[in-house]
Amino acid sequence: MSPQFVDFDADGRLDIVAGIFDGSPHLVRGTEKGWGAPEQILDRDGQRIVFNKFWNFDTKKWDETKRCDPDGHTPSQGGLLTSAVAFDVDGDGDLDLVCGDHYTGAVLARINEGTAKAPRFAAKNTVVHAAGKPIDVPGTVATVRLVDWNGDGLQDLVCGGMGDPYGTSTGGGVFLFPNVGTKAKAEFGAMVTLLEASAKGMATATRPDVGLHPDFADVDGDGDLDMVVGGYSLWSPPTPVLTAAQEQRVKELKAELDKASARLQTFYRSLDEQVKGLAEEAADAKRSELLTAKKDDLQAWSKQRQELQKELDPMIPGQKRESFVWLYENRAAAGKPATPR
Amino acid sequence: MRLPVLSMLVCAASAAAQSPDFAPPVRLMAGDKFLGGGRMYPSPVWHDLNGDGVLDVVVGDLPGRLTVAYGARGAATTYGPDEKVLGADGKQVDLHNW
Repeated sequence: MSPQFVDFDADGRLDIVAGIFDGSPHLVRGTEKGWGAPEQILDRDGQRIVFNKFWNFDTKKWDETKRCDPDGHTPSQGGLLTSAVAFDVDGDGDLDLVCGDHYTGAVLARINEGTAKAPRFAAKNTVVHAAGKPIDVPGTVATVRLVDWNGDGLQDLVCGGMGDPYGTSTGGGVFLFPNVGTKAKAEFGAMVTLLEASAKGMATATRPDVGLHPDFADVDGDGDLDMVVGGYSLWSPPTPVLTAAQEQRVKELKAELDKASARLQTFYRSLDEQVKGLAEEAADAKRSELLTAKKDDLQAWSKQRQELQKELDPMIPGQKRESFVWLYENRAAAGKPATPR
Repeated sequence: MRLPVLSMLVCAASAAAQSPDFAPPVRLMAGDKFLGGGRMYPSPVWHDLNGDGVLDVVVGDLPGRLTVAYGARGAATTYGPDEKVLGADGKQVDLHNW
């Protein structure tokens, strides 16, 4: 989601803008009393701002639309807006929205046709280009950020890449699109890699590998911008040599885990059978009733599985996937090369 | 929540920033726990939330919840325990999804 602290409505107070996983940008207004209730940022017609896919709060299902597709542009697949920053793309003195696509590498803008104090967003998205081509972030877009990376007074665009979130394919990186335009009109140049996409395959947690969410500040006060990156690290610890007793225990634990999994599968199959043929609302109610009735057992089964896995883990360590926030200290001030790669 | 002076300092700092030559990354701590640990797709943002002149780390996540680890004065990149960011209603700021 990458919250952006920005004065969205030019009232002199910071607000929070964020694209979230329902497929729309949201706003938390700063008020005299503190942060207000989150609200959706709507377009000039009162419609939700989306790419293609979005969570439909009325039907409580994922939905899809083409009503916001940029003129003359057909997305190769349905896009999902999950990140947004407010930024004056067209230099007219008000904040537009620049949004990233979770499903592709596209970055699309929603132009503010109103004013800084009274935003009115266009009904359609606009393709954001870099070096004359539509932006295509490697590994799809996890988030979009703004930073004046090269100190020229213009806000540059930075995108964190998603990468393959679970498998062994390439992970995410961090990519800069320098603003080579003017204060009157942003124009983005060719992509610069700030952090290579992860190749994964390490034996320990060494870096954020997937779902990279960067931000920048000079936190150590040495005159250059450091980077913080949130995301998942994936690693595979080496398997230790086991004693005969440990090997026996591994067999027992695996058998117990299989039994526990089978019990859960049986329960959920039975649950599906019992709601089969019911209308959607009745099925939801029946499913909820059955889950509530079995709540204590489900919790106990879950706890048992966790304990079994905890004992098995040091002997058969599987792939690890944990979330962290990583600090990348910029060494530019230590006399390192000053030219982006 | 008036616009902080710190944002101007960050802009000034950026004037000297050019290179992506980063030191090997280290995991940030929030108190005695890993910052972002256990969160779905943690998205950190440096921001002086309490206006004390020290950058804090505000962390969002996929479920839409905001937390903050307050920065320690005089100790760069040292942060206190992760806390909920509260709204005017006293509840956690939560841009919940569905």
